[in-house]
Amino acid sequence: MPWINRGAIDRILHEFKDAKPIEGKSVSGFEVPKSRLKSFLKHLRDKERFVHFIDHTLIDFPEGKHRFQAVYILYNPDQNERVVVKSWAEKDSLPTVQDLWAGAKWAEREAYDMFGVDYEGHENLRRMFMWEGYEHFPLRKDFPLGGVPEEELPSMTEILGGRTDPPSHDFEFLHTKVPTLEDIERTERARLKKKAQLVLNWGPLHPGTHGTIWFLFDLEGENVLQSDVILGQLHRGMEKIAENLHYFQFLPYTDRMDYISAICNELSYVSAVEKLLKVEVPEKARYIRTLFAELQRINSHLLWLGTGALDLGALTVFLYCFREREKIMDIIEGNAGFRLTSAFLRIGGVHYDLAQGTLDVVKAFVKDFRNKLKEYHTLLTRNRIWLRRTKEVGIITREDVHSYGLSGPVARASGVPYDLRKLEPYAAYDEVEFDVPVGEVGDVYDRYLVRMEEMAQSLRIVEQCVEKLEKLPKDAPYVNKSHPCVIPPKEDVFTSLEDMVQSFRVVVHGESAPQDEVFVSAENPRGELGFYIYSKGEGKPYRLRIRSGALYNLSIFPKLMEGRTIADAIALLGSLDPVVGETDR
Amino acid sequence: MAEFGIALIATLVKVGVLVGVVLGVSAYLTWFERKLAGHIQARLGPNVVGPFGLLQPLADAIKLATKESIVPKGADVPVFYLAIAMALVPSLLLFSVIPFGPEFTLFGKEVKPLISDVNIGILIVFAMGSLAVYGTIFSGWASNSKYAFIGSLRKASVIIAYEVVLGFAVLGVILLAGTMSTVGIVEAQAKSGIWYILYQPVAFVLFLFCMLAESGRVPFDIQEAEAELVTGYNVEYGGMKFGAFPLAEWYLNVIALSAIAVILFFGGWSGPGIFGALSPYVWFLVKTFSLVFFVIWLHWTLPRFQAKDITEIAWKIMLPLALANLIITAVAVYFLGG
Repeated sequence: MPWINRGAIDRILHEFKDAKPIEGKSVSGFEVPKSRLKSFLKHLRDKERFVHFIDHTLIDFPEGKHRFQAVYILYNPDQNERVVVKSWAEKDSLPTVQDLWAGAKWAEREAYDMFGVDYEGHENLRRMFMWEGYEHFPLRKDFPLGGVPEEELPSMTEILGGRTDPPSHDFEFLHTKVPTLEDIERTERARLKKKAQLVLNWGPLHPGTHGTIWFLFDLEGENVLQSDVILGQLHRGMEKIAENLHYFQFLPYTDRMDYISAICNELSYVSAVEKLLKVEVPEKARYIRTLFAELQRINSHLLWLGTGALDLGALTVFLYCFREREKIMDIIEGNAGFRLTSAFLRIGGVHYDLAQGTLDVVKAFVKDFRNKLKEYHTLLTRNRIWLRRTKEVGIITREDVHSYGLSGPVARASGVPYDLRKLEPYAAYDEVEFDVPVGEVGDVYDRYLVRMEEMAQSLRIVEQCVEKLEKLPKDAPYVNKSHPCVIPPKEDVFTSLEDMVQSFRVVVHGESAPQDEVFVSAENPRGELGFYIYSKGEGKPYRLRIRSGALYNLSIFPKLMEGRTIADAIALLGSLDPVVGETDR
Repeated sequence: MAEFGIALIATLVKVGVLVGVVLGVSAYLTWFERKLAGHIQARLGPNVVGPFGLLQPLADAIKLATKESIVPKGADVPVFYLAIAMALVPSLLLFSVIPFGPEFTLFGKEVKPLISDVNIGILIVFAMGSLAVYGTIFSGWASNSKYAFIGSLRKASVIIAYEVVLGFAVLGVILLAGTMSTVGIVEAQAKSGIWYILYQPVAFVLFLFCMLAESGRVPFDIQEAEAELVTGYNVEYGGMKFGAFPLAEWYLNVIALSAIAVILFFGGWSGPGIFGALSPYVWFLVKTFSLVFFVIWLHWTLPRFQAKDITEIAWKIMLPLALANLIITAVAVYFLGG
């Protein structure tokens, strides 16, 4: 996706004299002083049509005059252009932009939670992932990777037998803090002021939430007056981990974000890193990536369909979906060696060449899956009960799509053709043919239809990839090992000296990335997964921000829930399809 | 006095046989349902415990019976236990008015294969159906849990709506038969040779819906709704206490209501006598279990409605239909003479 064009930059600079263009980086945009930030962003939204909110985050520079630099990434759907706006958080505070883009509400809360920057005028600036009363800000550079050991959590032996010398175990006495029951209660109170009859805690462990999300519903009878979401039960500090690892080392962690679509996550991540390192990917690897990403998309949509139907009481669809998922898992396992978190892609290519017979199996699967798709349609698409549960439920308007920064099938069901495979082709998506299905109404039913059609389109892509891969010579390279930042395949490392040296150098010193900033995103089954990498020119990223599609898609949930029933909550949640591994990271 | 004693003993024997058979059949219905569900869902179902998994219900019963009995904190303990009785007893009492076959003579005595041939049999069915809701309400209230509470209230609203529809739907049959006795209804059908489903197809469909709603089967299983309410009203019960609720609702109620549907609409035990003396019983069981099969089939195929949709359908669509059906039947009976 191109960045903002020269003409627009000049036009805006003419309007805002104190804005400085960002030059010499892989992203383009502006740096504006804090005092002008709000009016600048408002101008971008209203005059330049940068209506779609993509992301907001902070970067910590402990040595700088001002410590935190704010980064806003916006998108102009008319011109298909992105822009980056930066500003320094003077006195550790920033103006809120939640009145410009509703999606900023959660993004700012997350930035506050992780960096401790105050947002003036934010309606409810609470912790996003950590609990109320936690006094540290984990993504600050002075926060140690292992956490702050500050609390004694005695072991059972110590409680029963007292502390002995030497101690009964050989781990540290002091541990990082864990929330107490009072902390959790305070967190709950801070989110929602009870207005109606009873507050239902829906989660954190509940079959309807598809993971450890904690919903609060303020109920008047069956109707939900207000609701809120408490996230963070699966927060592992992925961004912090990334800052402390070499680029190639972080790849398996991306699998564990949206664990249903591991290969798509990897594809998004390696695309970003390859952009930063300027690595060319061989043709065969691009097609293998596309093939597996689309298989993974079908796999992920099948899980969505199965669990979504299960939530609405259709027990059988769930097992029918898992039957087909199993076949895809087998194909992935046969090639990557793992089923779920496959770590199949590599920077510069893929880990293994195609396993023998893969293409035949994929062809058989594609042939079979067309009929299975028909079967799902027969079970649900025209089922009166299904229609009654999904039609006219949770309608998302186009304005909301832009304002909340929604993406993926959720955005497309509302009629916004926002598909990064078309808008910013990566892997081999510019060389295959497929259509982007869009909905009209934007209700749960449209999101269902869009995802169903996407599976059919994925099949088309898979077929074309198979065709292409059959034509490619068997010994075509699948890793671009000529680039110094790419780890060569293992069989070459063991047999050739140069490759061994290269592998050794990358593993020990990391990829020497240039000083640059990139933001690359890919179309995941759950929306736009973007990686914003700020590199100071070392083997590790200085800051790696993960733009989670699932988090932004979930952020509209409280709005959609107003005045609806609990039964609608599961239909809605199923249609937004968040995966907690990605929302919490 | 001797007459009374014999009658008492005969009734006790009948009750004993019936309860034993019905509970056993319900236990094995769980096996059947799981096998059927397995078949529908392209998997095997229970196949490890015993041949074809036939001992699975026994294993389940042992498992449930030996589990720790937990009463939640803040629960209303007497009501908590009363709820189990209130769920089980009405479903069992439903069987008291179900005739399994015609009268026969044993040791020179006339024996009716039902526990009590009262002239208000159908009223008892309604009464028991209404009583069963107390089991749900009590369990929801006494559990001191929001999920259970919401689930039980949902069920209550559904039962209130569907009891009314059920009453009006069945009135058509009563008008045709001219009696409220279950035996009388079957005999009326056997005598005329025409099952009432032909006269009352609308009433049968309505009855079927009510049956699904009362027994909490898909698509009306909103009081359980495992995705929203984690099985709803019985969420705080464990072990055999938990087992009692699905047993009462999903199995006893379904069998009993299917049997009543057979009596009302499919001529009860009537059928060609190709199985000799046993043929009435065989026909009755075949018809009943066809209906049970149908209910289970629906359960594993359809999604579920929303609570407000279910009551809306009952009050806005089904009740007017039932009333129209009743009026048409009444007019027809008045002019054509039944």
